[in-house]
Amino acid sequence: MSAAKRVQQWATFARTWHIFDCKWQDPYQSADLIKKYLMGMHKPIYHPMNDCGDVVVCINSRDIALRGDEWKKRAYFHHTGYPGGASWTLAWEVHNKDPTMIIKKAVYRSMKGNLQRRHTMERLLIYPDEEVPEDVLQNVTNQIRQLRLVPTRLDHIPEDEVRKFPKVMDYPKDYVYK
Amino acid sequence: MAFVRRFITVIPKLAKHVPITVQSRNIKRWVAPTLMELKRREDKQGGKVTNPRNTFLEWNLEAELYAFGKRLNEEFDSDLLLQAFTDRSYVIKEEMKQKELEIDLKMKDNRELAEEGRKFMQEYIQLYLETVLHKLPAEGIMCIRNHLISEKVLSNVSFHLGTKDIILAAEYPVDNSILAQTFEALVGALLQSCGEERAAHFVRDFVITQLQGQDVNEFWEIEDPWTMLTEMISKTGSELEPRLIGEVAKNTLLACYRVGLYLDKKMMSSGFGETVAIAKEMAAREALKKIFGTEETMHPINFKLNGIPKSRSQSKISAS
Amino acid sequence: MSNSNLFLKSGFVRAPLQNGVGRYVCQLQRIVLKFCKSHGGSRGMRDFIEQDLVDFARDNPSVVVYLKPRRHRSPVVVAEYLNGDRVWMSMQNKTQSEITKWIENMRTQQGDLSAVRLRKYQYTDHPSIQGPWTPFTFKNPELNVAKLPNPKFGANDRLPMSATEQLRIMFEKQRISKEEVKEEKKEE
Repeated sequence: MSAAKRVQQWATFARTWHIFDCKWQDPYQSADLIKKYLMGMHKPIYHPMNDCGDVVVCINSRDIALRGDEWKKRAYFHHTGYPGGASWTLAWEVHNKDPTMIIKKAVYRSMKGNLQRRHTMERLLIYPDEEVPEDVLQNVTNQIRQLRLVPTRLDHIPEDEVRKFPKVMDYPKDYVYK
Repeated sequence: MAFVRRFITVIPKLAKHVPITVQSRNIKRWVAPTLMELKRREDKQGGKVTNPRNTFLEWNLEAELYAFGKRLNEEFDSDLLLQAFTDRSYVIKEEMKQKELEIDLKMKDNRELAEEGRKFMQEYIQLYLETVLHKLPAEGIMCIRNHLISEKVLSNVSFHLGTKDIILAAEYPVDNSILAQTFEALVGALLQSCGEERAAHFVRDFVITQLQGQDVNEFWEIEDPWTMLTEMISKTGSELEPRLIGEVAKNTLLACYRVGLYLDKKMMSSGFGETVAIAKEMAAREALKKIFGTEETMHPINFKLNGIPKSRSQSKISAS
Repeated sequence: MSNSNLFLKSGFVRAPLQNGVGRYVCQLQRIVLKFCKSHGGSRGMRDFIEQDLVDFARDNPSVVVYLKPRRHRSPVVVAEYLNGDRVWMSMQNKTQSEITKWIENMRTQQGDLSAVRLRKYQYTDHPSIQGPWTPFTFKNPELNVAKLPNPKFGANDRLPMSATEQLRIMFEKQRISKEEVKEEKKEE
């Protein structure tokens, strides 16, 4: 194979490292998006036998947002294999123990149950906050857009924007707030 | 009987059962014994025995030569054609036989025709490639020409034109070198029978078309593309700048870098690579391909030029 | 289904020696017709030889035709091609028109087609014109110099416009028109 063809193939099958900010995101909704990048389904060269999946680095997995009262009600099942080894753990308990586990289970669940799943899951790196090892962060070259809107806290909006924003009414200067 | 016929729909279909089988494509039962028997017979003979076609009962050399000429749509002189197919080893063998029988029949071999043909092919292919790939420098054209005249290509062409049955040689099956030489001799014979133009078209239609689908850059290996490129650009006086325009997973084994070459702030080419140095070299190669007009998206080579094209020096003189 | 235990060779759609690019060369090299002069099964073959063979030979001077009349042997046609294939076909009890059609079929083939299983029905030397896809093809070049994670590239940009934003834009438009009215008044 000539050098040009070899190098072209190297580029086409190169594995990109994506980063995804899980802050305020629903893990199950984001898992559907992440699994596409892990399996390589966002690439036109995709084929299940092709091993074309990318690496996804998830940060801020501690700030995940489960819907409704799932924190209280969603239970994760685990069996150790030994008799009497079944256990049901609630989502908040799991999250306190290991903040990366919920999103990991969500991504695992979103994939098809075939033999490639365990291998594909190895490509997912999850960090509970913004602290990512330097060498991992250097590899990252693309960011996956979030699905849900992250609302800005009212006291985090800069002052001049607040002043500029059109007001319908304003309290008079000598108004006394209760 | 009538009772049964009337109530035939009522009787439940107890007898009908669908067997649970999976259809698959297996090796048939007769295959292994047949192959074993064939192998036994082959070993008895002492290896595969292939008889040359001209030992068959149905063989007419004259008819074969005539058909050969007609197949190629060319009119050969029949003596020259026979001479072109006669190999030196066959002539030696015939002479030894004739010594025993004391008959003297002179058979000419194809060496002189082959030399003539080879010389003509070299010159014509050079001129043709110069015309068709006019931006490519002389070194590149020479490399492509050497590939086209190589024994491998010529023997392949010769084989697929059906010469292996007609060639008169001492051994069978015929060697690649003899096939290549026969082809050159055919070109020589055509040159003498019909003239330069017909021989030129023959070479064009069978030898030069072997470039179809091939990447022309594969034949010319440039050792240091970057220095070559910088030399060429420095003559024009433009500014050449390589820049890293993309990288993927740089701390891993599967790192991929993309380097772009900018000529006077405008992008000329880009190259991928496992390291930055390789990517820069590939970008330089792409740039050279663009300058020589032989990139992947180039116009397909024109295989329809008629006559013998003029050489570059001649056309330059005529232009000035 | 894998190919390892099937003994039919597989290949792609190819023309030997770039056949049509230069001149076209008929791939049939020679054809051998073996028949019996008296047996009934060779009747069609004998009729073909008497009536159509000379026209065939005249129309295709590049094909060498050999005739083998053999007693008590069934009629057979063996076609040999330029790439070395031999196609053996029995013409026993075939009519003259059938034989004509089969021989025409053999003349236009380029070898033994039943010996090769076609893997694909298309072939091209240049599968991509604009260049194969790479992860760099549709990538935003701003990502090259950005420090990730960056909310500019991470936030969702496809959300529908919120009601607050719509109201603000309506207000801005209205304000512009008020300014224009003021300017007009000044001019007056």
